[in-house]
Amino acid sequence: MAGKIILLVEDNLHDEALTMRALRKHGIANEVIVARDGAEALDILFATGSHEGRPLAEMPEVVLLDLNLPKIGGFEVLKRLRADDRTRLLPIVILTSSGEERDLTEGYASGANSFVSKPVEFAEFSQAIQRLGMYWLLVNKAAPLPTAT
Amino acid sequence: MNVEASGFVSPTVDAALVGAQSYASAILNILEDSADETARLVDTQRAVLNILDDFAGERQRVEATQSALLNILDDANDEKLQLADTQRAVLNILDDFDAERTNAELANIELRREISERQRAETALQRAKAATEAANRELEAFSYSVAHDLRAPLRSIDGFSQALLEDFSDGLGDEAKTYLRHVRNSAQHMARLITDLLSLSRVSRAELGRTPVNLTTVTRGIIERLRRNDPHRTVEFVAPPEVPALADGALLAILLENLVGNAWKFTSKHSTARIELGWGEEGGQPVYFVRDDGAGFDMAYQAKLFSVFQRLHSVGDFDGTGIGLATCSRVIQRHGGRIWAEGAVEQGATFFFTLEDG
Repeated sequence: MAGKIILLVEDNLHDEALTMRALRKHGIANEVIVARDGAEALDILFATGSHEGRPLAEMPEVVLLDLNLPKIGGFEVLKRLRADDRTRLLPIVILTSSGEERDLTEGYASGANSFVSKPVEFAEFSQAIQRLGMYWLLVNKAAPLPTAT
Repeated sequence: MNVEASGFVSPTVDAALVGAQSYASAILNILEDSADETARLVDTQRAVLNILDDFAGERQRVEATQSALLNILDDANDEKLQLADTQRAVLNILDDFDAERTNAELANIELRREISERQRAETALQRAKAATEAANRELEAFSYSVAHDLRAPLRSIDGFSQALLEDFSDGLGDEAKTYLRHVRNSAQHMARLITDLLSLSRVSRAELGRTPVNLTTVTRGIIERLRRNDPHRTVEFVAPPEVPALADGALLAILLENLVGNAWKFTSKHSTARIELGWGEEGGQPVYFVRDDGAGFDMAYQAKLFSVFQRLHSVGDFDGTGIGLATCSRVIQRHGGRIWAEGAVEQGATFFFTLEDG
């Protein structure tokens, strides 16, 4: 699984630290790029703005996407990614505190591949992150990247 | 006539006689004439009498006519009286009609007032409905924010406490570790409070859709999950194969989750336990119950059972948020039913409920 990148879209520094710790604890040493808001996530994925010039071939293996984000919200990020050929098939996991039914529905309707509620209890949270990392980096086979134009 | 001749009977008597004779005949003639005259007079008189007779007849007729006329006038008078009566009656009717009309007009005014009042009430109702909907939206936004924003710091508190315990165990004394465990317990308890409060608010907001539900099936599922999480416990579950209800499936699951979860929890200090689900009929209405043989409760505190944040046991004895039974009560309230409990300390508790109006 070496070389596979995870994009973590998370504005909460504590949640980011806990996520990183959980990944490391479970031996997942892959590079994790962190975007602090929805706009930055889009810049990273489309190599625009402050991330202009980033090679588009370096697509993450999975995007862990929070919903409640500054600037551009999680659902909007999801919709824009699904509307673009370059990111249409990118595996996206919604990772949120919310377990609300309407968020689940809207998440899947907007094209999420998975929906995970962050458990409050750290042991559960840690386990959830480990499973996510294992599944998306090891078990899952992502769609081939579209050939660059 | 020669009067002297009547005293003499002489040669001249003859002459006198002749004269007397002619005299007498003259008289007779006169008499005869007079008789004629009398007869004529009588005739005339008779005629007059006849005429008078006729006249009397006529008079009688006139009188008859007159009396007839009088009768007619009488009748007319009667008629007039009757007419006056009729007129009076008609006037009365008109009066009545007038009164009726006034009444109708008053009723109309009343009706118009009622209509405008009803319209006002409807407007007020509409406004209240809009306000309720707005409040509901606000509540939803609030719950959403509670769910999302209050959980994140709790995750930090719990997560970093755990990180300290795991990563710096060597540098921490036992007391420090105990304190960190308290921090974690509190964070987890608060997380449960948030989850339960969200569930309570979801119960209040959810649309109610009734379908046939078998309470035994739902309860069996809950018991099986509790057994998996707590495999060392010996709990017997007793229920008829079918306990039918017409209720909202999702809300009923929340209700039974709480009632059966409580029964499971409050029997945890006993080596074996028995949880029973059943139903009966009371006044033609099904009454359901969940019974356990656990810690029970003092009936003196019965009224507090279903209020939010009211607990009859300390968290040290039995963990809990004090929201479960309030949520149950809300589920029942949404169905228009009733919920009540019976129990005694260390002799178990029985929770009864109905799911229909009335």
